Amino acid sequence: MLELNNVKLKYGYVEALKGISLNVKEKTITSLLGANGAGKSTTLRAISGINEISDGEIKFRGEGIDSLDTSSIVEKKIVQCPEGRKLFPALSVYENLLAGAYTVKDKSKIKSKVEEMYENFPILSERKKQMAGTLSGGEQQMLAIARSLMTDPELLMLDEPSLGLAPKIVEEIFDILVDLKKTGKTIFLVEQNANTALHVSDYAYILEVGNVVLEGTGGEMLANPEVKKKYLGG
Amino acid sequence: MLQQIVLGLREGSLFSLVALGLVIVYKTSGVVNFAYGHMGMFATYITFTFYAILGMPFYLSVIIGLVFAVVIGIVTERFLLRPVRHLSHSAMLIITLGLLMLLEGLALLIWKQDYQQLPNIISGKPFILRFEGGMIVLPPQDLLIFVLTAAIVFGTFFYLKFTKLGLAIRASSQNEEAAKLMGIKVGSVYSFAWGFGTGLSALAAILAAPKTNVHPSMMVDLQVQGLTAAVLGGFESLPGAIVGGLLLGVIEQFIGKYISVELKMTFALLIIIVLLLVKPSGLLGKSTKRRV
Repeated sequence: MLELNNVKLKYGYVEALKGISLNVKEKTITSLLGANGAGKSTTLRAISGINEISDGEIKFRGEGIDSLDTSSIVEKKIVQCPEGRKLFPALSVYENLLAGAYTVKDKSKIKSKVEEMYENFPILSERKKQMAGTLSGGEQQMLAIARSLMTDPELLMLDEPSLGLAPKIVEEIFDILVDLKKTGKTIFLVEQNANTALHVSDYAYILEVGNVVLEGTGGEMLANPEVKKKYLGG
Repeated sequence: MLQQIVLGLREGSLFSLVALGLVIVYKTSGVVNFAYGHMGMFATYITFTFYAILGMPFYLSVIIGLVFAVVIGIVTERFLLRPVRHLSHSAMLIITLGLLMLLEGLALLIWKQDYQQLPNIISGKPFILRFEGGMIVLPPQDLLIFVLTAAIVFGTFFYLKFTKLGLAIRASSQNEEAAKLMGIKVGSVYSFAWGFGTGLSALAAILAAPKTNVHPSMMVDLQVQGLTAAVLGGFESLPGAIVGGLLLGVIEQFIGKYISVELKMTFALLIIIVLLLVKPSGLLGKSTKRRV
């Protein structure tokens, strides 16, 4: 579904991605794991068109998307839920959801999507008039995911959804991701929390200083001694 | 007392109009536009040129001036500010300062230093309010400023609150990258805000022109007063800009009447410094509650 071939990206003179290739298959959860500064978020920013790549190609369903702007990429139903949630703090929960549906033109579809989100995330329904900045961390992450789902994305990319959350909330968030996969969504997950991510992933890549150094199924990765040593604490 | 208040509100509504444009541009793109007043001044000269030099009808000349202002607002955002947006806000501030000097220089070069005249947008018999101990004469142009300011405030408020582009403006002002990730064309949102804000500056300048005359420094005082009104109101609040402008008008009026006409601006600024020391977020500014 999504293909990155030899993608390079530079921040000034620093090469943040040194020619990475990866593949995200339809209706799977694919993870991109690695330490801080490995280039995980940069990869997502490149796919979303926030940063321009300097070489290589990014294809979605066989069509090159690396020259498109972010708005056109969202219209292709490739949506990113960014690191640190990045909600609109002074907009209400309801308005954040509406902002998520910015590219949707059909008003009745937006209305039914909002209802669907309230049904799937009841806490958001209770807090719909509350400013997003006043929600708890877990509620904010749920809102960030719900906001990303408003366009009914074909590919949902999540950047560190477990960041700064209590273990119980992280569990809830990953349960949501598994449920989303069951509904036919394709998920590309960027995580530092390798253990939890690998347990829900069909396939995973490990990124080190801008290079993919390892790849395999979630099960293979969990059993790999190198992964265990470097990323699973033992 | 009542007379001073009404006279203050009359002056203040123009400050509110200037403050409103400054706040809209700041709230959306995060830039305090130092060239704001001068952009209005230049548009007023365009109106003057079409009306007094080329002999076109006055209202058409006013519309041409306003459209010109909208276009220079959009061009400034698109070609001067957007290329340096990723650098820093200071870079954008310096560009607006440069633009201020450029516009003043160009105005001097083209139209010289002479004071030129523009008529009132509406003329006619003034409204006279009589009350115990005095009376107030309100020319129709002053009432027009009141009505226009109120209409623009309500129109802007409803537009921001209830339309799709309004939501995009509010979202972009809070988190540019997240707005982009929702598919919002943030560049177009900024261009819109700059076009609209600069249009307001031109409107304020054209309305003020019969009193200030048309000259390269015609908007200097109004820019300072508009900026002060915006700070007084909290800088990010549209109702704040209005309240700040009206309040500043009344404060200046009382100081002019009971202390000194020459010192009214100095005293007004002093009061504002004191107010900001006591309430730094301004009168209607809100400090957003956030949980992390």
